[in-house]
Amino acid sequence: METHGKSYWAIHYLLLAAFVVFALFPLFWLLKVSITPNDLLYSEGVRLWPSRITADHYASVIAHSQFPLFFRNSVIVATTTALFSTLLAAAAGYGFSRFQFRAKFWIVGLMLITQMFPLVMIIAPIFRLLKPLGLTNSLAGLVIVYTAFNVPFASFLMQSFFDAIPKDLEEAAMLDGANRFAAFRKIIVPLTLPGLAATVGFVFTAAWSELLFALMLNSSSAASTFPVGLLAFVSKFSVDFGQMMAAGVLALLPVCLFFVFIQRYLVQGLTAGAVKG
Amino acid sequence: MSAPTLKIACALAAAGLLAAASRADTTLKLVEVLTSPERTETLQSLVNTFEKQNPGTHVEITSLAWSSAFEKFATMVSAGDTPDVVEMPDRWLSLYVRNGNLENLEPYLAQWSDTKGLNDRTLETARAVDKTAYLLPYGLYMRALFYNKVLFKQAGIAAPPKTMDEFRDDARKIAALPGKSGYCLRGGPGGLNAWIMFGAAMAGNNIFFKPDGSSTLTDPGWIKGTAWTVNLYKDGLAPRDSVNWGFNEIVAGFYSGTCAMLDQDTDALIAIAERMKPEQFGVAPMPKGPAGKAYPTVGYAGWSIFKSSLHKDLDWKLIKALDDPAGNLIWNKRVGALPIFKAAEQAPFYSSDQLKGWFQELSDPDEVPTLMPTNLPGFAYFADSLVVRTGQQALLGQISPEDMNKQWAAYLTKAKLKQLSGK
Amino acid sequence: MTWRGAARAAEPYFYTLPAVMLICAVMLMPLLIGLTYAFHDVRLLDPMSGDFVGLEHFRELNADPAFWNALRNTVTWTAASVTLQFGLGLVLALLLNRLFPGRALVQLLVFLPWAIPSFLSGLNWAWLFNPVVGPLPYWLHAIGAMADADNLLSHPRHALWGPIIANVWWGIPFFAITLLAALQSIPADIYEAAAIDGAGPWIRFRRITLPFLAPTMAITILLRTVWIANFADLIVIMTKGGPADSTQILASYIFTQAFQRLDFGYASAVATVLLALLLAYAMALMVLRAALMRRN
Repeated sequence: METHGKSYWAIHYLLLAAFVVFALFPLFWLLKVSITPNDLLYSEGVRLWPSRITADHYASVIAHSQFPLFFRNSVIVATTTALFSTLLAAAAGYGFSRFQFRAKFWIVGLMLITQMFPLVMIIAPIFRLLKPLGLTNSLAGLVIVYTAFNVPFASFLMQSFFDAIPKDLEEAAMLDGANRFAAFRKIIVPLTLPGLAATVGFVFTAAWSELLFALMLNSSSAASTFPVGLLAFVSKFSVDFGQMMAAGVLALLPVCLFFVFIQRYLVQGLTAGAVKG
Repeated sequence: MSAPTLKIACALAAAGLLAAASRADTTLKLVEVLTSPERTETLQSLVNTFEKQNPGTHVEITSLAWSSAFEKFATMVSAGDTPDVVEMPDRWLSLYVRNGNLENLEPYLAQWSDTKGLNDRTLETARAVDKTAYLLPYGLYMRALFYNKVLFKQAGIAAPPKTMDEFRDDARKIAALPGKSGYCLRGGPGGLNAWIMFGAAMAGNNIFFKPDGSSTLTDPGWIKGTAWTVNLYKDGLAPRDSVNWGFNEIVAGFYSGTCAMLDQDTDALIAIAERMKPEQFGVAPMPKGPAGKAYPTVGYAGWSIFKSSLHKDLDWKLIKALDDPAGNLIWNKRVGALPIFKAAEQAPFYSSDQLKGWFQELSDPDEVPTLMPTNLPGFAYFADSLVVRTGQQALLGQISPEDMNKQWAAYLTKAKLKQLSGK
Repeated sequence: MTWRGAARAAEPYFYTLPAVMLICAVMLMPLLIGLTYAFHDVRLLDPMSGDFVGLEHFRELNADPAFWNALRNTVTWTAASVTLQFGLGLVLALLLNRLFPGRALVQLLVFLPWAIPSFLSGLNWAWLFNPVVGPLPYWLHAIGAMADADNLLSHPRHALWGPIIANVWWGIPFFAITLLAALQSIPADIYEAAAIDGAGPWIRFRRITLPFLAPTMAITILLRTVWIANFADLIVIMTKGGPADSTQILASYIFTQAFQRLDFGYASAVATVLLALLLAYAMALMVLRAALMRRN
């Protein structure tokens, strides 16, 4: 690695600090509102920190609402979706990357088109499709829909990561007698761990925060995810900002944990020397 | 077994099965749409009482978040996912009636002993569509004027405004206080009622349509009313931000002390009373226009039975449990609507200081409760989209009040003619 | 054809078919149904609707000033959001590509905005822009960007910037992480070799980084543009399309027509136009990419 002068690092850290502040400030505000008592919410709205703090909102969310249930549902749906999507996407992305075949144009086109039509328009048909199968009001139905929607993006993403790895690698392995799938599993996949991690992270977060389908397809609280639960804080009479922000902060925790988990794969460089070999 | 014995055996088996079926549990699906956590609790307790009195019946409550209830329920119904009993707001009634979803409740009302105890307004609103009762209202929402006593005192105003001129004057005095505004204007969704109230007060009547079906909104009186509201904004008597304000923002504006006067229904009282002390605010009848009358708008919601239900008699029993004199009182205490029974108005709950404002309105002949034409086809789009867009354009000065009234009149006339012609 | 040959020809399908089957089953059919609505009079909850009306809806939208207004706003919204998200995301990715103490923590912190559901993010930002409860109007006024400490979201000419800023805040992590993952797979020795040959940082960026990033960039920009063009959540939450439709984009307009007017036919027609525009954009991008690759 080249060495850099002090001024380089100074600018580097300054810019990073700017990004971190920009990213964190609204989250800080979220936190601030979540610990502000209801009566101070408006009168002290603009202050950077309330004069009195309270844990009431968190207590209500955890003890008196159905949030633990919603979290559980969201965790189930998000992890399942992330797993299935990444599996299907890794396979499809590899197919796009390594092969030229006639149907490729049409398949890619199909995947693109499914991303371009506003979801609002296909909710009614999807509802009608899933209802007779008993998949409305269920977590399984959500997983299926989320996977179908996320696979195209995940596939293209994986394709771009596979594209960066030269074909000779698996060709070399296949010359040695391994079949393509084994070469794919044992050689290529480990090299694209950052890509896999990124894909898993994105699909997880997308499924975690999805609102529209979760709202329209499921009505019972047993099958509701946490964004739907957040919506319940907006009633006809008031927006319960304190509790809503508290729930939002709590919801960040699983995502943080998940991200910490995939972190080490994300930044794994190729310094292991695999490419040289 | 011989043939006759076999037949008898089958008959017995069938009878046994039938008996078993009638003893089996029936589940009723109840959907509520004006949901809030406290409300759901009250609903659940009323339902529990019902279940105890009707063993073998289970009621499954589905609570839809109000902000998305309209689209969610429409999607469910259009895909065949229908409930047995549903909470029906006034704005949705004509849509579901015209779609053939709702059961005619007249036969049930005819047999109900409590029907004669209902007040006239309740029966009128129940029969709002096709002069047939498709819902049993649980309460009436009527607009009144909330005012901030603290700000009024600060501006040296002794009493809430009785006329629109006084209203404007008071708003001006309060806007002179630093950082404060006179009126919590609702420029965003849901603002139609205020436009109509002030328009009607200026016009001196609340007639929406001439006998031939054309809209009266192009009459000079109505245009004066619209212009009056626009001037409140233009002259800075309402907060600059209020052009975008919806329900939550105006109520928040009121209880945060940003604006001093708010026109709202009884249910806003719940939210406000939670956040302001009783001596900080009061409720007065809507201010009267130059003709000496005011036209507070009236809304309602109730319970309807879906035609597709397989247990209509049981559904009606459930509605009775929710809406009979005892149930209705419990419900309205939570929900904050005015009661449907004549006798209920004497209940101690309704003589509290704040609710006095509404009862004052009800007993004043010059305060004329006004039903909005919610049974017009396309009314929801009118109120939620057309009015919002053109209203904001008028407030911002992009179009003139006269222009806006003309656009509204054109749309409403078309809708009225469609309604009159056939449906 | 030999078995071997057949097996080889079938290989790509082995990899891609599972994904394709799922998508066809769950999304293709509803999509086609949605498209057919555009040519029929489909009103939800109206038993009298359902007739075929041909191009009627398209004629209607051609004459609809609200449609053209929404289209203009869509272009502004999409272009501004994507450009800012990509530009800032790339800078952040480059910054994170260097090893420094605390990098893992910084990475986590800048990723957090993406984890907030759009609905909550919209409410939070609306809160921040509201002078009654948020600090932004005062700060914007203090730095001279606004004449008064007002709510940005109620100025018809500038209201769209509110959701754009919220969108940029939310979307930077997307580009930052994907570009970072791509940057991480560039072998370090290539840089070293170039440095030894005397290439400066800018040349290294242009000749090594950009080409390696190109495939990832192309696909992320394409997809992100398509998503943002269809992304009405922030606008609906923060301004509801107002004031006076100044922040209405096609996606939110479609939502209004579909769920307030319950006119699915017209909404589908507008959605079809949007789809056609996005397809044209995608094709243009593919052609551009092919041309660039041929040049190299």
